[in-house]
Amino acid sequence: MTGARLATARRALAPLAAMSITLAGVGWAFPDGLTPWRSVGIVSGWAGTGLLVASLLLMVREARLAKLLGGLELSYRWHHRCGLLAYLLLLCHPLALALDGWAEAPPLAWQTLDPRAQSWPLWLGWGGLLLLMLGLTTTFAMQLPYRRWRSFHFVLGAGVVLGLTHVYVLLGNDRLLLTLLLLAMAALGWRLLASDLGLAAHPYRVTQVEARATGMIEAALAPCAAALAVSPGQFVLAAFGDGVHYRGCGEYHPFTVSGIDDQGRLRVSVKALGPCSRRIQTIEPGVLVHLEGPFGSFLDEVHAAPQLWVAGGIGITPFIAALRANRCRQPTTLIYLYRRDRHGGDAAFLDELRLLASQDQQLELVIDASDEGPPAVDRLLDEVSRLAERQVQMCGPAALLAALTPALRRRGVADGAIHFESFDFR
Amino acid sequence: MTRRLFILATLSFWLAVVGFAASHWWLPARVAETALATPASAAGDPTTAATADASRSLAEVGRHREADDCWMAINGEVYDLSRYLPEHPSDPEVILAWCGREASQAYQTKGRGRPHSARADRLLAEYRIARLQQP
Repeated sequence: MTGARLATARRALAPLAAMSITLAGVGWAFPDGLTPWRSVGIVSGWAGTGLLVASLLLMVREARLAKLLGGLELSYRWHHRCGLLAYLLLLCHPLALALDGWAEAPPLAWQTLDPRAQSWPLWLGWGGLLLLMLGLTTTFAMQLPYRRWRSFHFVLGAGVVLGLTHVYVLLGNDRLLLTLLLLAMAALGWRLLASDLGLAAHPYRVTQVEARATGMIEAALAPCAAALAVSPGQFVLAAFGDGVHYRGCGEYHPFTVSGIDDQGRLRVSVKALGPCSRRIQTIEPGVLVHLEGPFGSFLDEVHAAPQLWVAGGIGITPFIAALRANRCRQPTTLIYLYRRDRHGGDAAFLDELRLLASQDQQLELVIDASDEGPPAVDRLLDEVSRLAERQVQMCGPAALLAALTPALRRRGVADGAIHFESFDFR
Repeated sequence: MTRRLFILATLSFWLAVVGFAASHWWLPARVAETALATPASAAGDPTTAATADASRSLAEVGRHREADDCWMAINGEVYDLSRYLPEHPSDPEVILAWCGREASQAYQTKGRGRPHSARADRLLAEYRIARLQQP
């Protein structure tokens, strides 16, 4: 199977798995000879339960699983979609049961919903739904700081467990129910213990720290045990611990690798974008770092066709990792866009890039500094020869990618030739 | 888009719940009374008719939660199932757990969300002792 076909097959795995779990639940409990509203209530309840379990499974952060499912970003996108669809179906569940009561006798509708008329198995259901509501409200609150957002996100996990317990208590011991409950608990347990507490993470130690631009450092990391097998373009999730004079925030954040050597030592570049990454700017050698990954397939196929690489600010990191690792095998134009200010702006690795370009005949370097406003995307693309034949790899702020994509399409670059990786893991 | 969908769905849900909760205000009184009376008269059992006016609160039902003294509130009616428990076909623990409780949902969602049979409905009517007092 070719690389492209394999990638397409992998992209379909997450929705297929979610659909299979959902259909298994609905098929098992499919109503027969019930009133229409009760049938709707049962189907929506089971479809919602299946999608919730699928959503939990797609939240598991593990390098091999992420690769199998077409990447962590895609896996998280389906996690969000399944979670939201499950929530919508689970809102329909009690309402459909109430409408069933209504069809029999209108006052029975409220009696079906009224928690005062219920007992604990149904309170569990209400509790689960309310926790999902609270967790999703905070998920959609864009202004919430990351740490608070993250802790509220755990509320969703508790909601799922309450919801599954509600079904289990009402319907009793059954293999399918037990399997769903165990799958949900295993996914939550893996996420909490292996990922968030870092029990499955690889220990590294900071050996060197260099300032690369205003508010941006590059840290060299040496493995304390087995090293991760990282390729240029991939990213790791790193949690920086404490040092002699440094107190790490201990949270896992994604960082693109900017250097890999043959002894497994890595370099990661960190730009001060939030409270944790601002603190990392003062990191010192000796600090213990826990790494998870590697994740991502960006720059996986850079040897197949002529390349156009476009980097904005900190987005230069995957490209510098690729250039440090190997010479270009295909004609490659690297457009590096950065902001200029009186402190030097966010340009990093400028001297090293110029040196690499002077040593590699296949590499053409275009550096463009702007003071304010959007970069002159059209002017820069007009200067690139045989643009429509190239594979385009982009890394930078979302606004830059949004401006570049339509400009590339207008110049005849096919959608399949445009590659970029999103780092929004909320 | 997804944010808007979430907000719209959540608001609609609560609007519907409040609508059901306030149904006794906006529903014509005649409809409510007729509807509540229907299940009792449909049972067609002499015991039902004799105790049609009696009502028991959920708290009172809650005091009868032993195997030999088991009341349940089901669909707005109160049943004394003490005599029936030994005959119930399932594992005794399944039904015992509902003694002294509001058990409408459990009654309607026996195994895989299916309700009890029409035969079970007729059987249940024989054990009716009162109407459930509304909170």
